[in-house]
Amino acid sequence: MEKVWSAISGAWDATTESQVWKSVFRHGAVTSNRNRVLVMMSNVFLHLHPVKSRKAGIKLRYTWCMGGITFFLFLVLTFTGLLLMFYYRPTVQYAYSDIIDLGEHVPLGVMRELHRWGAHAMVITVWLHMFRVFMTGSYKPPREFNWGIGVILLVLTLLLSFTGYLLPWDQLAIWAITVGSNMARATPLLGTEGPLTAALKLGEINLVNSGNDARFALLGARSVGENTLLRFYVLHCVGLPLAAAVLMAVHFWRVRKDGGISGPM
Amino acid sequence: MAQEEKKAATDGADKAAKPAAKKKGKDVSRREFNWLALGWTFFAAATAAGLGAMGRFMFPNVLTEPPSSFKAGLPSDFAIGVVDTRFKEAYQVWIVRNEEGIYALSTICTHLGCTPNWLSAESKFKCPCHGSGFYMSGINFEGPAPRPLERHRIVLAEDGQVLVDKSRIYKQEAGQWSDPESFLTLA
Amino acid sequence: MEFFKNAVNWASGPTVLFTLSTVGLLLSFKYTQIWSKKVAYIFFAVFALVYFTSMLDPNFYLIVAKPDNVPITFVLFLVAFFTWYAMYQGVENDKRIEAGEDVLEKQEQEKVWVWPDLVYTELLCMVILGVGLMVWSILLPAPLEQPANPADSPNPSKAPWYFLGLQEMLVYYDPWLAGVVFPTLIIVGLMAIPYIDTNPKGNGYFTFKERKAEIAIFLYGFLVLWVLLVISGTFLRGPNWNFFGPYEYWDQHRIEPLLNVHVSDFFWVRGLGRPLPSNPIVREFLGIILVLFYVGVLPVLMARPREKLPKFLQWISLNKYFQKMGPARYYLGVILFLAMLSLPIKMYLRWAFNLKYVVAFPEIFFNI
Ligand code: HEM
Ligand code: FES
Repeated sequence: MEKVWSAISGAWDATTESQVWKSVFRHGAVTSNRNRVLVMMSNVFLHLHPVKSRKAGIKLRYTWCMGGITFFLFLVLTFTGLLLMFYYRPTVQYAYSDIIDLGEHVPLGVMRELHRWGAHAMVITVWLHMFRVFMTGSYKPPREFNWGIGVILLVLTLLLSFTGYLLPWDQLAIWAITVGSNMARATPLLGTEGPLTAALKLGEINLVNSGNDARFALLGARSVGENTLLRFYVLHCVGLPLAAAVLMAVHFWRVRKDGGISGPM
Repeated sequence: MAQEEKKAATDGADKAAKPAAKKKGKDVSRREFNWLALGWTFFAAATAAGLGAMGRFMFPNVLTEPPSSFKAGLPSDFAIGVVDTRFKEAYQVWIVRNEEGIYALSTICTHLGCTPNWLSAESKFKCPCHGSGFYMSGINFEGPAPRPLERHRIVLAEDGQVLVDKSRIYKQEAGQWSDPESFLTLA
Repeated sequence: MEFFKNAVNWASGPTVLFTLSTVGLLLSFKYTQIWSKKVAYIFFAVFALVYFTSMLDPNFYLIVAKPDNVPITFVLFLVAFFTWYAMYQGVENDKRIEAGEDVLEKQEQEKVWVWPDLVYTELLCMVILGVGLMVWSILLPAPLEQPANPADSPNPSKAPWYFLGLQEMLVYYDPWLAGVVFPTLIIVGLMAIPYIDTNPKGNGYFTFKERKAEIAIFLYGFLVLWVLLVISGTFLRGPNWNFFGPYEYWDQHRIEPLLNVHVSDFFWVRGLGRPLPSNPIVREFLGIILVLFYVGVLPVLMARPREKLPKFLQWISLNKYFQKMGPARYYLGVILFLAMLSLPIKMYLRWAFNLKYVVAFPEIFFNI
């Protein structure tokens, strides 16, 4: 036993003192204060954090870690979503059967589950995060702007979920999107059935019709079909995650720049 | 007041920024201002043009949609007082024959676009999504739908068949159901 | 047992459920001692017991255990828990403030190393959550319904659960309001909160006493007008968008005639006993006046000092806030607030009078 133990710790020491290890981690074991600073400064992922923080602000009791959990779920969704993209084709012909195959023909058939339940969970945690931020009054100066960024992130999270809802191309999907996108028809001025739209007329011709209104831009057609599936796919896999990622970077940056997690003055 | 102090305490940059902004406003000379205005105008115009072009990009010039008109058979194929649901699946149209003639109703609920069902026992169209109900004529009488179902152009083709053209829409609330082509009068 | 089920079914009707929740929330702001640990233990124990034994009821089970509805059970318990937790900490801090002590967050001002104190907490959260998600995914397959068929709408057709609050609004308002204007106002309103709320207190710690009005309004909007609508939309809205109690069978053929009456019908037909005028402006004049009064006159009246208002209207005075916030903030805030209240107002009008539109111009899709 003793021998095995010393062999392991010898191997560990040899690894952490090798040139390769040292080129990756620019600090020793994080047991000294000096290294506690270095680990935060030299690691691109950890440098989101400050080196030291007020005790109250990092308590679970205060933040519930909800923002952190939301971010973690975003990462999980990005990763599992990427894996799903290897098998899923966004066409009316294939979409539905590809989804079935994902459960039946692919090893680790829970990738779709992880993605779907993760998405549900993320919606819940964003709400709770916003709720926490409100209840601690953390939107008050100087954090007004970051609250605004947060609201946009909330909307993006919902849109990500909504666009993903169409992709399985089942009954649940198309009817939810049909009903949801029909609301766009009612946009004032921009939708065919919006108030005031009827006033936009050149002679006898309606300037806004079902071929060029707000709903059309969303669907790429007059009704939910092939073009819609493609549009939602592109938004879901590229457009919205990219926007969300950029805004998250701003969001985290501002948490630091606004003086770290809020606390009583 | 208390808030001002807090703000200043946590955010030193804020304190510095305010007087600086004031000074800067005064310092901009007339000449500089003209260039600034010109620059921003160009920038705004270019951005607007770019966004406009991008917006236009989302509307394709050609759209492959199923043909919008179809022949539904001879007028005598339709029995009086019956809602014909044969064309619902393929063309999203109900064809209804009454004492005076035939009309073609769109199967798209005027609330949010679900497909209602014809309930012959209750003699009404009932939408499963939010419960809107329509009479056989297409007039709404219950639920959230704000207006009647739409009708399509319906005429007799040269070979005597009933021709339905979905690209033409007649709305009751706009008084368009009196248009002769919205209703095929049969003697 | 039957008696209990019938009572719950009755209490889940939209009118009763909504009224009870509103009144309950308001009472909890008055008697803040209910946000204590003891009450919470009892409440959660009883609630969880009832909830999970209800699974024995086939109708309840059918709806609650539907895979896509499982997240709603999480929402129900998590939102309830965190609401209690935030209020509990707020009330505890209020006691400290009253006793002249520092709030809890202030007592822990010293700086600690982020590694390991925070980094390990985060790691732990991640691991627990990751394992939880894994278990959830293995136990519960993601649902897939029949392939899409544009000619056949399922009954009922629902939006994704997080939009059911919007779908519920659609029952009471036309799509241009419920689907476009209100969502925009919600987003804009949320973003405007930090600029409207100038109360410098309660920044960075839980408290209730120091920001009563803000918290009350936010909780009413979030809990009653959003989460409650999501939950009832998922569990209680059945075929044909009818309301069903949690223990009721979802009968596809239950008929509930929804006869629509407009304000114009009330005024011209029922009130004056004559047919609707053909001129739409004349037809709708009463509704137009009511709406203009609500959005245009009411905020101005509310800004006036109490004693300048007629006696029966004195309770609406928000002069205190007008003084504190200044006109710009006050009007923005009050208009958003009234917009929020317009939802419950229309709900009650619908339930009480079957009222469909206050103003109805179907000719130009302008219905309120
Ligand atoms: C994708 C969504 C979001 C992510 C990933 C995210 C992430 C985070 C993280 C990691 C923090 C650090 C503190 C904590 O964990 O609580 C934070 C703080 C904050 N978040 Fe978010 N957030 C999101 C959405 C929102 C929303 C919807 C709001 C509000 C409407 C918001 C407003 C704020 C504010 C004001 C802070 C500073 C809080 C403080 O200093 O106490 N965020 N966010
Ligand atoms: S879509 Fe038909 S009632 Fe809503």
